[in-house]
Amino acid sequence: MTTTDPSDHLASLDHRHRAPVRLMFDQGTLLLSGVTRQFIERVWPNDLWVYDARGANTSVDSELNTFQTQHWRTDAVLYQRIQCDLDQSLANADWSDEVPHWHNVTFPRCHLHPPREDQRDAINAWLSTRRGVVVMPTGTGKTEVALHAMTRLDAATLIVSPVRDLMYQWHTRILTATGINAGIIGDGVYRVSPISVTTYDSAAIHMPRLGNQFQCVIFDECHHLPGPMRQDAARMSAAPFRLGLTATPDRRDGRHVVLDELIGPRVYTQAITAARGKTLAQYDVHRIAVHLSDDERQRYEALGRVVREYIAERRQAEPNYDWQTLCSESGRDPQARAAMQAFHAKRSIEDRAEEKLRIIEDLFRLHAGEPVIVFCGSNAMARDVSTRFLIPCLLSHCRKRERQEILDGLRTGRYPALVANRVLDEGVDLPEVNVAIVIGGGSGTRQAIQRLGRVLRKNAFGRACFYEIVTAGTRDEQRSRDRRKDDAFKKK
Amino acid sequence: MLTKQEAIAEYDFAHQAIIPDRLTRKTHAGYLTAADQILQIYHNHIGATRRHLHALVQRQLQSLDDCSSVRMAAFCKLLDDASDYDNDRGSTAATLRRRVFTLAAADHPLVQYPDHLFASDESVVKQKIAAQLGRPWADIEADLFADVIEFHRLKQAPEPAVDGAALLRRYNVAQTQAALYGAVEMTVLAKRDFKTILRYAKLARLMHTITRQEDGYRFRFNGPASIVRATRRYGVAMARFLPGLLAAEDWRMRAIVIGPLRRRFALQLSSRDGLRGEIAPSDFDSELEETFFNRWQQQDTAGWTIQREANVLHEGQTVFMPDFTLQHPEHGEVLLEIVGFWTPEYLRDKASRLAQFRDHGRILLAVTEQAGEVLPDLSLPTVTYKTKLLPKAVLDLLASIP
Repeated sequence: MTTTDPSDHLASLDHRHRAPVRLMFDQGTLLLSGVTRQFIERVWPNDLWVYDARGANTSVDSELNTFQTQHWRTDAVLYQRIQCDLDQSLANADWSDEVPHWHNVTFPRCHLHPPREDQRDAINAWLSTRRGVVVMPTGTGKTEVALHAMTRLDAATLIVSPVRDLMYQWHTRILTATGINAGIIGDGVYRVSPISVTTYDSAAIHMPRLGNQFQCVIFDECHHLPGPMRQDAARMSAAPFRLGLTATPDRRDGRHVVLDELIGPRVYTQAITAARGKTLAQYDVHRIAVHLSDDERQRYEALGRVVREYIAERRQAEPNYDWQTLCSESGRDPQARAAMQAFHAKRSIEDRAEEKLRIIEDLFRLHAGEPVIVFCGSNAMARDVSTRFLIPCLLSHCRKRERQEILDGLRTGRYPALVANRVLDEGVDLPEVNVAIVIGGGSGTRQAIQRLGRVLRKNAFGRACFYEIVTAGTRDEQRSRDRRKDDAFKKK
Repeated sequence: MLTKQEAIAEYDFAHQAIIPDRLTRKTHAGYLTAADQILQIYHNHIGATRRHLHALVQRQLQSLDDCSSVRMAAFCKLLDDASDYDNDRGSTAATLRRRVFTLAAADHPLVQYPDHLFASDESVVKQKIAAQLGRPWADIEADLFADVIEFHRLKQAPEPAVDGAALLRRYNVAQTQAALYGAVEMTVLAKRDFKTILRYAKLARLMHTITRQEDGYRFRFNGPASIVRATRRYGVAMARFLPGLLAAEDWRMRAIVIGPLRRRFALQLSSRDGLRGEIAPSDFDSELEETFFNRWQQQDTAGWTIQREANVLHEGQTVFMPDFTLQHPEHGEVLLEIVGFWTPEYLRDKASRLAQFRDHGRILLAVTEQAGEVLPDLSLPTVTYKTKLLPKAVLDLLASIP
C-alpha cells in the first residue's frame, strides 16, 4: 500500500513543527489530527479519510476541542490497516496511537477438549491471519473452535451472538472452559469486562462506546451481520482480530459479500454433506400433509374468494393492479383493507389448522418415551400446542431461568417434550433428541437448515426423525417445497 | 415514540419529498371524536388484556373510512405508551406454567381419543390439575401466558389531561419523528431560541455545525460517522431531538431522509406548521436575568439595545452562548455574561469557557460579589453586583471601555 518512495520522508518532515500526529477513537470512528492534506493524499491515494471541521465529539478530551487542529475521520474498522500505513510512513516517535483501550487477558485455566482434526484445521487457518470467516455446519463444534482461538490470543474479546439465549449460552461456555465470568452487554444489562458477550443489536447500538475496548471480536452466526444497522457492530469497532462463524454464509439478498470487508475472507469451509454421518446423526425426512377441516376449508376458501374477487375487479380497470398496490391503498380504501384482512385471516387458518394438533398427538403416541421437540411458525401456534398438550414452550418472553429449567427438564426427562418458536432457530444448545416436528414456518432455507442442525446431533437413539407438517392445498405446501430445494433436505 | 412498523409517510417522487402522516381537524374531521372514543375504551377496560384492548380500538376505528391497519396500530402504541400495564414482574405466570407442565408430564401425551395404551384424556387430566390447584381450568388457562406482552393486563389508563385533541397532537408529532428514523442529516435555520435548540440537540447526542446567517443561525445536525458515509444510525437521535425543536420558535427545518430505492427525500417543517410538542419552552435561566432584561427595556440606555442569548460562540463541538447581546448603532456589538454563584464546578467550567472564547467577541462580565474571589482573573471588563444587577452599572462599564 505504501511505498518506500523518498517523498515519504518529506511527508514525515512537513508536520514536524506542527501539532503532534494523533490517531484517536471517537464514537465508532477514527480521528487523525496533526497531518496535512498533502500527507493524507500521499499515504492514502484513495479517499480513505474525510476532512472533518466539526472536531471531536468526545467530551472527555476537551483539549481536542481547544486545539485548532485539523481532523480527519474514517471508519474504525480500518484501524489495523491505518496503523500499518502510519508505521510505514512515520517514525514511531512521530505519532501517538491513542486508539487501543483494551487490556491483555490471561486465561488462568482452560478446560477444553483437544480439537478434532477438522476443528484444528479451522483454528490454524484462522490463527494464521486472525481475520476471517470459518464455515462449518451446525453441530460440528463451532463454539469449540472459537473458544480455542480465543484462549490462544490472550486478547480482550467480545463475542456477538444473534439472540440473548445464545449470549447467555456463550457466557456459560466461557465460564466452564476458562473460569472467567464474562461481561454481559444486552438484555437490559451493561456490564463490560475484557471478555464480554453481547447480541448483534446491542453491539450495533453500543459499539461507539465499546469499539476500542476489544482487540478481538467474534461474530457467531455471522450471516446476521450484514443488515444495514447491524453492520455497525463491525464497522464501528477498531478490533484488528475478527472471527466470523456460520453454517450458512450466503444470504438471499447477496449482502454476504460485505463480510469480507467487515470480518475478513473465508479461511475455512466444511460442507454439510461432508459432516453428515460423521458428526451429525443420520436422519430421515417425513412429510405429512394435513387437511383443513370442513369448517376451516369453507372459511379458508371464502376468504380466498374475497381477496381474488377484489383483485380481479380492480384489474378490469387497472391490468397492473397488484398486491403491493393493494397494501398501500388499504389505508384509504375500506375494501382494500377488507381484502388484506381476509388474506391475513387465511394465513392464520393455515398456520393453526386443527388437524395439525391431531397429527402431533399421533406422533407423540408413536414416539412415546422419546424426547420430542416441536417447532412452530408462530408464537400463537406454539402456545396452542403448549396449551393443548401441557408441554413447556420456549418463546421470546421466557426469562433466562425459565428457559434453563425447560431445557434441563427435557434433558433429564422431567419433561417429555417441548414446543418452540424461532427462539431456538439457531445455535441454542438443545438437549439430545431424535424426533423433531416442524409445523408451518416461513420458507427461508437458512432457517430450516439451522433448525434441522439443532435436533440432528448424534445421540443415543441412533437415527433421527424429522417430521414436517404442512397444510395440503394451501400456500404452506409451496413453502415446504421451497425448503426442500436445499441439499440438506434431500431424501436419500 | 412509534416503531418503524407503525410509521406512515407518503413519498413524493416528483418533488423528492417525504410527507409524514398528519391528521388535522380540517382534513380528518372524524378523528377527534374517534380519538376520544378510543381513550374511553382504555378508561372503561382496566384489567383487560392488551390484545383485547387493541381489538376494541380496531373495531372502533373501523368506522372511519380511511383508517389503515397501520394507523390503528400507531394509535394503539400511543395509547399503550400513555398507559401502565401489569407486566408480571414477579413471574407468577412462569411459576404457574411450571406447576401445570410438571403435573401434566406424568400423563403425557394428553390424547383426545384414549385407547388401552394411551389413556390420558386431555379434558380429564386438565380437570385433575384444576382440582389440584384449586381453581377452575378456564382461569388457569387464562393466566398461563399472562407475561406475554399481548396478554399483559391494563393497570392504569392514560391520565385525564390526555384528551382526544392531545392524542391527535401526539400522533402527528410521533409520525414526524418516525419519518426521521430514516434521516441522515438535519438542517435548522433559526432566528431565536438557539439555546433551546442546541441544548436538546446535545441531549440527543447529535453533532452540530454552526454557521451565522444574516438574521440568525444555521445549524446542521448529524453524528460522528455521518461525514464518512450517509448513515441512518443517527435518525433516532434526530427524532428524539424533534420535541425540543418544537419548543422553540421562528425556525425552519429540513432533514434528508433515505427512502425507497435508497433515494433521498426531503422532510421539511417550520415553527408555523402547527405541530406542537409537550416540552415547555425554556425561559430565562434565573429571575435575576429576567429582571435585568425588563429594566433595560424600560430605561434610557443611551442607544444600546438588548437581546437575549442572540449570539452563539462556537469552536468544534463546544458552544458558548453569552446571556445578552448589547447593540449600539455606532459602537457595535458587546456580549454580556452574568456569573451568578452556584458551585465551584460551575465557576470552573464557566471560567474555562470564557478563557476559550474571550477572543471571539467583546465580552463583559457581571459577577456576583460572592463569586468574585473564587472566579480566576480573566482580564475581562467586569462589573460586580450584590443582589440586583442594574443597567446603569453595565452602561458605566460600556462607557469606560474603548
